Order: sequence, then structure tokens, then C-alpha cells
Amino acid sequence: MANANPVWEAIDETPTTRPRRLVLEVVHDWVTTVDHKKIGLMYIAYALIFLVIAGIEAMLIRIQLAVPNNHFVSPQVFNRLFTMHGTTMVFFVGMPILFGFGNYLVPLMIGARDMAFPRLNAFSFWISAFGGILLYFSYIGGSGLYGAGSAPDIGWFAYAPLTAKVFSPGHSTDYWTLAVFLSGIGSVGTALNIVTTTLCLRCKGMKLSRMPLLVWLYLVQGGLVFVAVGPLTAAQIMLLLDRYLGSHFFDTQAGGSAVLWMHFFWIFGHPEVYVLVLPAFAFVNEIVPVFSRKAIFGYPAMVAASVGIGFISLSVWAHHMFTVGLGAAGNTFFVFATMVISVPTGIKIFNWLATIWGGKIIFAVPMMFCVAFLFQFLIAGLTGIMLSAAPFDWQLSASYFVIAHFHYVLVGAILTALFGAFYYWYPKVTGRMMNETLGKWHFWLFIIGFHLTFDFMHIPGLLGMPRRIYTYEAGRGWDNLNLIVSIGGFVQAIGILIFVYNLIRSRTQGDIAGHDPWDAWTLEWAVPSPPPSYNFAVEPTVNSRRPLWDLKHPEDPDSDYE
Amino acid sequence: MSQTTSTIPITASGEPVWELPSRGVVGMACLIIAEAAIFIIFVVAYIFYMGKSLSGPTPQQVLELPIFGTICLLSSSFTVHYAVSALRKDNLRGCILGLGSTVLLGAIFLATTAQEWYHLIHDHGLTITTNLFGTTYYSLVGLHATHVVVGLIMLTLAFGLALRGNVHEAHSEKLEVLSLYWHFVDAVWVVVFLVVYVIGR
Amino acid sequence: MDEVTRIQQQAQHGHAHQADTVHLPEPTAMPMVLALGISLLITGMVTHWVISLLGLIFTLRAIVGWFFDVFPHEKHIDVPVEAGILAITTTRTTRDQLPVSADHRKLLPVETFSITSGIKGGIAGGIAMIIPAAVFGLARYHSVWYAVNLLAAGGFVRWAGESNAFLAQFHLEGLLAATGIHALTSVLIGLLYGAMLPMFPRKPILTAGFVAPLLWTGILYSAIGIISPILNDRISWRWFILSQIAFGLVCGFVVNLQVRVRTPQFRALPFAVRAGIHSDNIEQIEQIEEAEKTKPVDKKDDYV
Repeated sequence: MANANPVWEAIDETPTTRPRRLVLEVVHDWVTTVDHKKIGLMYIAYALIFLVIAGIEAMLIRIQLAVPNNHFVSPQVFNRLFTMHGTTMVFFVGMPILFGFGNYLVPLMIGARDMAFPRLNAFSFWISAFGGILLYFSYIGGSGLYGAGSAPDIGWFAYAPLTAKVFSPGHSTDYWTLAVFLSGIGSVGTALNIVTTTLCLRCKGMKLSRMPLLVWLYLVQGGLVFVAVGPLTAAQIMLLLDRYLGSHFFDTQAGGSAVLWMHFFWIFGHPEVYVLVLPAFAFVNEIVPVFSRKAIFGYPAMVAASVGIGFISLSVWAHHMFTVGLGAAGNTFFVFATMVISVPTGIKIFNWLATIWGGKIIFAVPMMFCVAFLFQFLIAGLTGIMLSAAPFDWQLSASYFVIAHFHYVLVGAILTALFGAFYYWYPKVTGRMMNETLGKWHFWLFIIGFHLTFDFMHIPGLLGMPRRIYTYEAGRGWDNLNLIVSIGGFVQAIGILIFVYNLIRSRTQGDIAGHDPWDAWTLEWAVPSPPPSYNFAVEPTVNSRRPLWDLKHPEDPDSDYE
Repeated sequence: MSQTTSTIPITASGEPVWELPSRGVVGMACLIIAEAAIFIIFVVAYIFYMGKSLSGPTPQQVLELPIFGTICLLSSSFTVHYAVSALRKDNLRGCILGLGSTVLLGAIFLATTAQEWYHLIHDHGLTITTNLFGTTYYSLVGLHATHVVVGLIMLTLAFGLALRGNVHEAHSEKLEVLSLYWHFVDAVWVVVFLVVYVIGR
Repeated sequence: MDEVTRIQQQAQHGHAHQADTVHLPEPTAMPMVLALGISLLITGMVTHWVISLLGLIFTLRAIVGWFFDVFPHEKHIDVPVEAGILAITTTRTTRDQLPVSADHRKLLPVETFSITSGIKGGIAGGIAMIIPAAVFGLARYHSVWYAVNLLAAGGFVRWAGESNAFLAQFHLEGLLAATGIHALTSVLIGLLYGAMLPMFPRKPILTAGFVAPLLWTGILYSAIGIISPILNDRISWRWFILSQIAFGLVCGFVVNLQVRVRTPQFRALPFAVRAGIHSDNIEQIEQIEEAEKTKPVDKKDDYV
């Protein structure tokens, strides 16, 4: 017996037809906008462009490594490819795309009309965007202008003393430093905005203990960005001083220390992993309950685990440096801290499983990606625990095992959850559903490709294949494995192309979604799709963690149980 | 549904007033955290390289305690606080006085730093390229001085606006946010002073 | 329907904002110009100073423009609200369900201890634990410092090879380390007691005083060789269990003395209990709940 409960709310519905405008007007609109939704979309669009660019770089790397003794690209080009691939993926794909989602969703979810500092928000986006353009300008800047070098080739963590003026003449390293510096300004700006918005613009009744978990995770992520990106910016300033003014921070000839750069970089670098993965958790936190038709299991534990991860992640950086020789006490501390971080992450995995457990699971595409996320993130965590043991790390540091491990996190967990988020919130953003059949093609091709690539990549690492090598001799047992890895890469690429096609096609041809296609419970589904520029015609009031559940089920509201 | 719970209405009458923190203060606090992280890295670098210079001059030979500048900068924290509380009471004259003396004290501090740098460069030949002490000293103190300059520019702007009478009690929150930044700059100087001039010598 | 009326009332009163327009910040190009300016300023460092100059001009222009965007007042535009009615409905269907227990959404326990009570218990227990430990040291090695140094040895690798005589002497670092380790673990275990005891309300003395110390000793017995080998070599398990029981009894006693606080679940209790007409002690609540459970459940709708 159907029991639809129509509950009425004074909320507007924007007309679907708008007058056509000149292209210039549209561009002007987007350039001058301070609307968090448009800025979020620009973040996402710009990150997707860089995703395709960095993806092409990855494909070129895989072609080069597919067979032994290959000379598809020159060694110099190869060095630039992996440097640019890593830098782009971390700073100009990962951070912006997650900030894009945060920008779009956080104000909607807490019932706010915009971010706390709308103009700063626009500034943060544009400065990150120009940072990315500056990085890629290094490719053309090389030939034309005065003294400019070509693309950076120092690896994404740019260890000293390779970055010293003597070893990296020209400006290629400066391009890297300055581009990352600009992106850092943008990241801190956006994080500041998200944190302030969360703390200061919540709608009436949206206590901290009632915020959607997505908002909580973005709050923790924002806090991490402050304390992680600060050190990176400081280290970049020191590197710039070394290269431009001749100071000696990382100049080993004058008593400077190369290890200090490693410390400074990884004080940023490891929290950065959590800056990237916390939003992925956030998406899963929202998608899993809706498609299991249950409230999230263990909300307070989830919040505590998120905050715990935030704190612990600040004390694990030196597990990237076991091979440097930290001494017994240092090694023990960082092994222990690294292993401890698996406790809160384990809590999260169990809570997601408990949410799914006993639910009426709907296997729509977003949920499929979330299930894949759970599975893959678990494996990524397990190889992480293996690598956290210092003696094991001494064997495998800087091998393809490490590459496979962190790609398992970045692709298997973060990118997979991101795809789920795209399918889940696309109807809210555009008013139309993404195509489910194409989505399933995308899912299976991507997942199969992913496992072909990254499952098999562990083995050459165990067999001793170091990262960043240009090519290798035949007969070391790496040949077939590398070929499989490369083939998997292309299967993934096909999946992602289908996804991009689906994104574009569904914009005009998708089914009309309505404001709440998933029968979800958070506030963003209470406004029309796409939301009007002011989000909420009437500022909402909430009484529980699932305000829309309360509206839909006035006979059994969540607020009774708080 | 169990009747136990649904028969009891949850009364919303006793709800407290919905109050949230000011976004200016929270935003500035976030900025201060990020800036503090930057300063911590520079301070760590200074401490790490203490006494590791391969050649002279050493801090013992060339550094003198900048007592006068320190007193000026630290007392400017009080004057800016006075300016904010005066503006909150809509006492524009007091606000102008507070802001003016803050700008003056900050400028004196900058002048003492400039004099110290001139002394070091001209008389002792210590530059950023000389040794690790020069590298870490100029970058740490220079980073702090940059923040003082930024703060001074904003305070001067506020001072100018106050002189023209464009500032009202309604702006006291904005001025308070600015004063938070200035307090932070002062607090950083305490750390820099301890590390560079007390422990470092 | 409470929610709906509240929202409608808000709409009528025009709570701070009129219902027909909404204040939004005015679109401005200044952030973009400032970002471009700073980027060009920096790009000059890898290209040519003229580009920096251009960047500086953009930056200054943008700062001035931005300043006048927010001072003296933030510029606003009024966006007209195209108000319509949006139905919040659910696709969820309900059906009759087999009767299940009435407290299927209960968060237990109804009452618990506050965090501070666990800390207090931990401190008291930690102090109590010192006595058997000191007696052990005096009886075996004629020194109260022996147990202290033994505990501290977990933190000092170089003490691994030291003699019993060394451990029986007073060492300030040993005292400090042992105090730290002891205080931290005591407080943590105290917190655990505060969290655990409400779950086992029936026999607090047995749980706190004997079961928990034995469990804890069992865990340590298997793990101590890894945590502190020197402790493993010299520990006397009988004395250890004795001191654990001393801790457990005192900690459990102190925790149980503290006032209990109500969990949110309390609000879901029958009104009579909350109003104090019925006594709100646990047994009575449980009786009432038992009575509730036996009532016939008419319809369950928490199934999709």
C-alpha cells in the first residue's frame, strides 16, 4: 500500500526555460560570479580538464613502460611526464575537484545561501586555476621567453638537492614551485571559506551534532588544509629563496640539509593524502545510507573517527622517510602512529558495512561505486599497513609496490567515490539524471581496468622494479606484468571517456530528475534542481540529522530520537 | 511505531536563541592557524640550523637585543585593543588615538628592524647568502617584517578612514578582526624574539 | 505538521528577509582580476619583469576595486524569488510487519556516567594502586623505587641490561617517566570504566573489581613482552593482579559514587517517568519497558 506523505513547504520552483543569451554575456556571468554553486562547478570543470591532461600523461607513461627496452619517448620527456602527472593530479585535479564538490554542497547541506566570503571564494578558485595554467605554460614558455626553462622534471616531491640551481638550471623548477605556491594560496582560501561557512552560517537548528557527515568531513579537511598547506608554502618560499637569492636552506655544500626538505614536504604530503581522502569518505557517507534506505550507523563514532584521523594524520609523515635513517626511536614512533591511524579508518569501514547491513539496498550506479570504494579502500589500507612496518618499507620503498599502494588509495578509493558522487549529485546540479546504462558500462570498464592495472602493479614492485625508471631489460619477470598494467590503463581510459560522454549527453538528453530523485534526506534535496541562486527562498529550520526524513515521515520523525 | 515515543510531544518552546560565531573572527582565526603553520616551519628551520653555519659571523658576534623595538611592537597590541574598545563605545576620537599610536609604534618597530639589518649588512657583511645563520635569520625576521608591513598598511587605511570620519560603531567588528591579526603578529614576534635573540645567542 | 506551520509562519513574518527578494552579494570581477594580477606578478619571476609590472597594476586595481565592493557597505543585488510550492514526498512504501520489540530504535543505556567521573575514578584507582606496588617493592627488594623504575624501564631502552640494584635506587627520570605512564594509563582505564560500568549495572563490584582487572591482566600478560621486555622479565604476576584489583575496586567505587547523567534516550521514555511521577531508577524503567513490549504492535513502517 502506497503511503506517500505530501508535506508542503514554501519553496520556489524556477522556470525551466530561460531566454537565450550571447556567449559573451554567459562568459561575463561566470567570470564575475560569486555564487558558490557556479564557483563549485568551475572548480569541477577545470579539474576535469586537468584530469584528462594528466590522464593522457599517465597513458604515455604506460605506453613507454608496456614493453622492455622501449624508446617511445625520450628519458627527458619521461621525467617531465611523471613529474607533471603527479603534480597535476594532486594539486590541479584532486584538490580542486574536491573543493568544487565542497563549495557546491556544503552551503546547500547546512541551509545557507552562500559561502561566508563569496568574493574570497571566487579569488581562491581563480588563483588555483591560474596556478595550473602557469604550470602548463612551462611547456611553451621554454622556447620563447627570456631565460625560461621547460616543464619541471624533478618528481612531484622535488627532493633536494636536485632542485638546487646547480642541478636544475633554467626555470623549470621555478615553474613547479610557483604553480604549487599559487595553488596553495587558493587551497587555504577555499578551506578557510568552507570552515567559516560551516561554523557561522548554519541554518536554525543545524547544531554541530546534526550536520550531515559530509559537512563534518569537509570541516576536518579544512582544518587539515591549514596545517598541511602552510608548511608546504613555507618550504616553497625557502626553495625560492635558495634559487633566487642564493640562501642555503637545502644547499648541502653550505651545511644545509636535504633531509629537512623531505621533512617539510612530507609534513604537508601525508596530511595531503587525508585532505584528498576525507571528501571521498564524505561522499560515501551520504550515498551509502540513501541507497541502503537506512540512517548512517554510528554517527558520533563517524565524527570522532574523522576528527581522530585528522589529528593522527599530522604525526605520521616520516613513514615516507624510513629509508633515510631516522634512528630506532623515530622509526618506532612513526610505525606506531601509522598503524594507529588504521583504527579510525577501520571504524569507518565497519560503520559503512553496518549501514548497509540489513538495509534494502538499491544498486544504482552511485551505490555500485560506493561498494567498489569499500572493497578497494580496504585493500589500499591493508597494503598501507604492510608498508608502515619499517623493515618491510626498507625493502619496498620507492618501488612499484608503493606506486600500486597509493594509486589504490587515489584511484581505487578517491576517484571511485568521486564517480559515485558525480552520478549522485548530477541530477541536483543539472536537473537531469545521468544515463544508467552508460553508467554501468563506465563502472565495469573502469573497475576491471583498475584491477588489471593496480592489482598487477604490486607484483613488479615485489620483484624489485623501482619507480620512475625510464625503461627496463627484458627477462626480469616484469615484462608481461607491465604489459597487463598498461592494457588495464587503457581499459580505464575507455571507461572514463564513456563517463565524460555521459556527462555531456545527459546535460541535454537525460531524464528530468525533479528535486529529489533518490528520496534522500539532506537539505540539498529540498530545493529545486538546479537550485536557484539564493538556494533557499525561506531559510530552513531543522530538528534532526535528516530534516527531509522528518518532513516525509511526520508520524515518525528522527527528532524524537535525539 | 511504538506509542511510547510518539505520544509525547517534543516541545520546542524552550529552544535557546540560535547564535553562531562571527564569520570575521572565525575566518581570521583560520588564517592565523595557517599562518602559524608557516611560521612554525621557519622557526623549526632556524632552530635546526642553529650553530651549524660553516663560516661566521655567528649570532653571538653580531646580534643585539632589540629591546626598544620589542617594547614598541608589544605595546602596540594594547593601543589597538584600546582602539577597538573605543570604537565599540562609539568613541571615534579614542579610536583615532588608538589607531594612530598603533601605526606609529609599528612604524618605529619596522624602523628598528631596518636599522638592525643595515647594521648587519653594512658593518658585519652578513647577508642571506653568507651562511646558514644569515639564511635563516633574514628569512624568519623578514617573513615577520612582511606581516608587520601588511598589518601596518591595513591599520593605516583604517586610521585614514577614521580620520575622515568614515568609521562608525558598526565597523567595530571589522576592526576587531584586524586587531586579531595584529595581536597574532605581535605574538609571533615574542616567539621570534625568544628563538633568535634569546636562545639563538 | 509542526515543521510545516513553522516554515509557513516564517514565510509570513518575512524573518529578516522579505519573501519576494533575497539579498545576494553582487557579482564582481575583482577577485578574478586580483588572482590574475598575483599570478602575473609571480609569472614575471620566470619570464620577464614587464609581466610582473603588468601583474602589479592588475593587483593594485583589483585591491582598490575590491575595497570599494565591501566598504562602507557590502554591495548587494536583490534577486527576485520565484516562489512556488515544492512537495516533499517520499517514494517509500509501507507494509505490515511482523511484530518486533518495541525498543528497536533504543539507544541504551538510559543513564551513563559523565566523562569526568571516569577521570576521577582513574585518578583514585591510580593512587590506590601505588600501595600494593610499593609494598611489593619493599617486600622483595627493600625499595619503594623498584616498582617505579620497573614501570619506567619501558621508556628507556638503555635500562634493559641494568641490575636489580640499579632499579632499586632512586632515579628522577625514572620517577617522572613512571608517573607519566601511570597517570596516563590510569586515566584512560578510568575513562573505560566510566563508559563500561553502566553497561553492567547489576554487579558493579564484581565487574569493576575482579572481572575487568583479570581481563586487563590477561591482555597485558600476552603483550608485555613486546611493550616492555624488561618488565616482562621481572614482573611478579601475583602482585600485579593484586594491584590491578586494588585499582579496579577503588576506581569502580569512585565511578559508581558519581552522579549519573541522562543520555538522549531518556527523552524517549514514557512521560510519567520523565516527569518524575514514576521513580526514574533503572529497574522501574525496565519494568515499564517490559510492559510496553508485551503490548500488541499494530503497524510497523520502518520497512521500505
